[in-house]
Amino acid sequence: MSIVLFISVFLIAACGLIYELIAGTLASYLLGDSVLQFSTVIGSYLFAMGIGSFLSRFIGKGLVARFVYIELMVGLFGGFSSSMLFLGFAYTQSFRFLLYAIVIIIGILVGLEIPLLMRILEGRFQFRELVSHVLTFDYLGALGASLIFPLILIPKLGLVRSAILFGMINAAVALWSTFLFGDQLLRKSGLRTIGVFVLVALTAGMVDADHIAAAADTQLYADQVIFSRDTRYQRIVLTRWKDDIRLFLSSHLQFSSRDEYRYHEALVHPGLAAIRGARNILVLGGGDGLAVREILKYPNVEHITLVDLDPEMTKLFRTNPMLTALNLNSLSSPKLTVINADAFPWLDEHNDHFDFAVVDFPDPTNYSLGKLYTTVFYRLLARHIPEHGAFVVQSTSPLFARQSYWCIAATIQQAGLHTYPYHVYVPSFGEWGFVLATHSSYEPPQELPSGLKFLSAQILPEMFQFPIDMKPLQMEPNRLNDQVLVRLYDREWRDIAH
Amino acid sequence: MPSRRQFLSAALVGLTCKAERTITGTFVHEAQLEGHKIRDRAAFPPPKRTEKIPIVIVGGGIAGLSAAWRLDKRAFHDFVVLEMEPEPGGNARSGQNEISAYPWAAHYLPVPNQEAVYVRELLEEFGVLENGKFNERYLCFSPQERLFIHGRWQEGIEPDLGSTSSDRDQFKRFYAMMQEFRASGQFTIPMELGAKPSPLDTLSTEAWLQQHKFDSPYLRWYVDYSCRDDYGSPAADTSAWAGIHYFASRAHDEKGPLTWPDGNGWLLKKLLAKLSRYVRTNSMVHSVRHDGRKLRVQAGDTEYVAEKVIWAAPTFIAHYVVENTPSVQFVYSPWLTANLTLDHLPREDSAELAWDNVIYESPTLGYVDATHMSLATYQEKSVWTFYWSLATGSPTDNRRKLLDHDWQYWKEAILTDLERAHPDIRQCVSHIDIMRLGHAMARPTVGSIFSDARLHAAKPSGDLIFANSDLSGFSIFEEAQYRGVKAADYVLGR
Repeated sequence: MSIVLFISVFLIAACGLIYELIAGTLASYLLGDSVLQFSTVIGSYLFAMGIGSFLSRFIGKGLVARFVYIELMVGLFGGFSSSMLFLGFAYTQSFRFLLYAIVIIIGILVGLEIPLLMRILEGRFQFRELVSHVLTFDYLGALGASLIFPLILIPKLGLVRSAILFGMINAAVALWSTFLFGDQLLRKSGLRTIGVFVLVALTAGMVDADHIAAAADTQLYADQVIFSRDTRYQRIVLTRWKDDIRLFLSSHLQFSSRDEYRYHEALVHPGLAAIRGARNILVLGGGDGLAVREILKYPNVEHITLVDLDPEMTKLFRTNPMLTALNLNSLSSPKLTVINADAFPWLDEHNDHFDFAVVDFPDPTNYSLGKLYTTVFYRLLARHIPEHGAFVVQSTSPLFARQSYWCIAATIQQAGLHTYPYHVYVPSFGEWGFVLATHSSYEPPQELPSGLKFLSAQILPEMFQFPIDMKPLQMEPNRLNDQVLVRLYDREWRDIAH
Repeated sequence: MPSRRQFLSAALVGLTCKAERTITGTFVHEAQLEGHKIRDRAAFPPPKRTEKIPIVIVGGGIAGLSAAWRLDKRAFHDFVVLEMEPEPGGNARSGQNEISAYPWAAHYLPVPNQEAVYVRELLEEFGVLENGKFNERYLCFSPQERLFIHGRWQEGIEPDLGSTSSDRDQFKRFYAMMQEFRASGQFTIPMELGAKPSPLDTLSTEAWLQQHKFDSPYLRWYVDYSCRDDYGSPAADTSAWAGIHYFASRAHDEKGPLTWPDGNGWLLKKLLAKLSRYVRTNSMVHSVRHDGRKLRVQAGDTEYVAEKVIWAAPTFIAHYVVENTPSVQFVYSPWLTANLTLDHLPREDSAELAWDNVIYESPTLGYVDATHMSLATYQEKSVWTFYWSLATGSPTDNRRKLLDHDWQYWKEAILTDLERAHPDIRQCVSHIDIMRLGHAMARPTVGSIFSDARLHAAKPSGDLIFANSDLSGFSIFEEAQYRGVKAADYVLGR
């Protein structure tokens, strides 16, 4: 009998430490600066446990029932702690508040556990023996938890599932206690029903854990995964290493916060700065709001239409403080209209005209995306651009995928446009290419908006020069009925990888 | 109110597995069964009114409508098209649900060669062909085809996965021979322009392959599949002339085919937009008699007194309806098509979903994705049109089988076939409508292409002219259109 009792002490002690470790780890992943995060999380947690121990004196009658309730609450809060933190990080402005609130609630509840348990066991053992045993198993539990957390739980289960697993252990201890201390309980069946509900809720969370945040992704990326979500359309993953945040869509790198300004300045300004009095702008793709940030540097611009398929993407980049710091809250601009739609049919169904359009789609990695790089697509887009206007297309790397790059240029030309290909060096991507398209001629602008970090009017003309290893190639255009680009792209990038 | 225990167990079951979902659906377009009244020589009520009209076209499929198109173009407007079903279109009919339009039978038109002048004229009229270029929105998008073989999908339906050098050599040699056949000028579309009596019609496609030492199982499967797909008959029962025609008749200058979500229903709708005023539906012709120099055509409660009749319905029916018409020995293939509504798409992990999706060594022909021609980059739902020519065995037995089994049986057969490639298909499909066609298309059996019966029926004479595609020995859009146009020209005199 007694060993069984002390096993519960061991288990609840382990659970208590696990939640603390999870909160500390999650805070370091998401906010960086692990020393600060761990110190403050451990400090507040221990302090909250002290509050819990203090509060235990006010619990008088019905000790066992209270103990069971507290266990179940620890199970729920602790179990869902990392899910709540991941979601809170993605969709609220106040992640730190949520973090410390959760840490303190769990801390108080955990602080209540041991004093209550000791009082329940009071009559069954001598005091000297009781203190010695309870504390021994308490510290043993802590040792066990601190070993399995980094060695087994994080690599095998990830943060979301580990927390839920330990929440289930808390709930199991609660249920078990209704049997162990059954003689001291009045309404056993009511308590058990609640216990079963908590277990079912946690099991559901376990099954759905991938949906909440696929922490298992951690192994796929070099850096810490701080956000991961499977939307209807793609998997969005954000990683962080020191101050470098990276966005991956379905495992393809979209930007690195350290050098994205090079990419986005090069994407927008060579074209837009050359159009006098451009007022109405279209962005296709680009749900990260970074191209919009650049466009907003033109006071003349009155209206921007952003068409991005994935509402989760535009929502994330409108609400997450770390990301809105990056796009300067561009997605909340009153000049912007966000339309979550498939770009090709949207263009087909609307007649609006735009002085300038930015085409920032993912690379043509499959036939579905490849449709967005075809003669039919560019011909349709050109119908939305007036005679004085232009559009620019992100066109993969002219160095790593030279044939693909020049295939895109040939496709735009085939659609009846004048093309002005240029390229830029982006450290996280390598050499990157764009194709500017107009109905008539193009002269690089003499003036650029102020406050750019990379582009200047002096270096701009140089970007249109291609060194020998990136020089133009004669390519067949990419057509809807013969998507040569997808095959070229696949071959060229595969050659790089092997 | 459910008990606590029920509630809990339901919650747990919901977490662990998904229950087998119910799939709804019925047989559709069963009006053909009406047609059996003619075969059974049922008694029809006497007509209530008489209408004098110079030309009656029997049958509102592509042949009949093409005859109408031609008459109308030649500024002749005094005619009617009598269609027995509630909707015209025959094998070009299509359907529509909240996800997409979809075909019921013919779903594409190969890019026409220069010699197919009437097809090109029609496509120019409909904006598909402009200044010698095909509108890219109507040329089948990439990826066109894929094949499920050895447990995975490969791009293209020519089997490639695991092929040996001998397989590849035989494909090369086969195509080289087809190139020569094409160069001979005898394999044309329309077939009448080039066809010359040939010993190739005296043996089967399979025998021809054997004769030329084509023993690659991949090549033989591919040729057999093509015969079942275009003619509804296996290579063993298909005239070698027809089998070769399939491969040797098309020039491949432009990557095709032309297709639309509703298949040839798109062409049909364009035709009807112009011609529907001539079309009388629910008008089953049950009797055609000579009366002096006139023809009396009875359909429903009306008797049409005509000078000429263009018989564009399947030729074999004429024997039961037109007095003194001997029966023709044409053989027809029974088909089953089904449209499956998918509220989400099955998991894919090899080649991407293509327009035409074929399962190697399946008795069926696979399925076509109706949303393939959408410009959208993302599809969550779709409609798949599933094709099954009941090719192997005797057409009569297969026809009986087709009609004897219930919807449930065919639904299971279809899902079981798809399960080979899509183990989760039952979780994706919400609805299956099935169409049964007892006489879907003419079957180019050995000896049929240059048979006296076909040559005789195909030669226009008198005041009743045949126009169905079966006069060509096989049923394709181009042949139906050509026969219709030629019949129209004949009755107007050119």
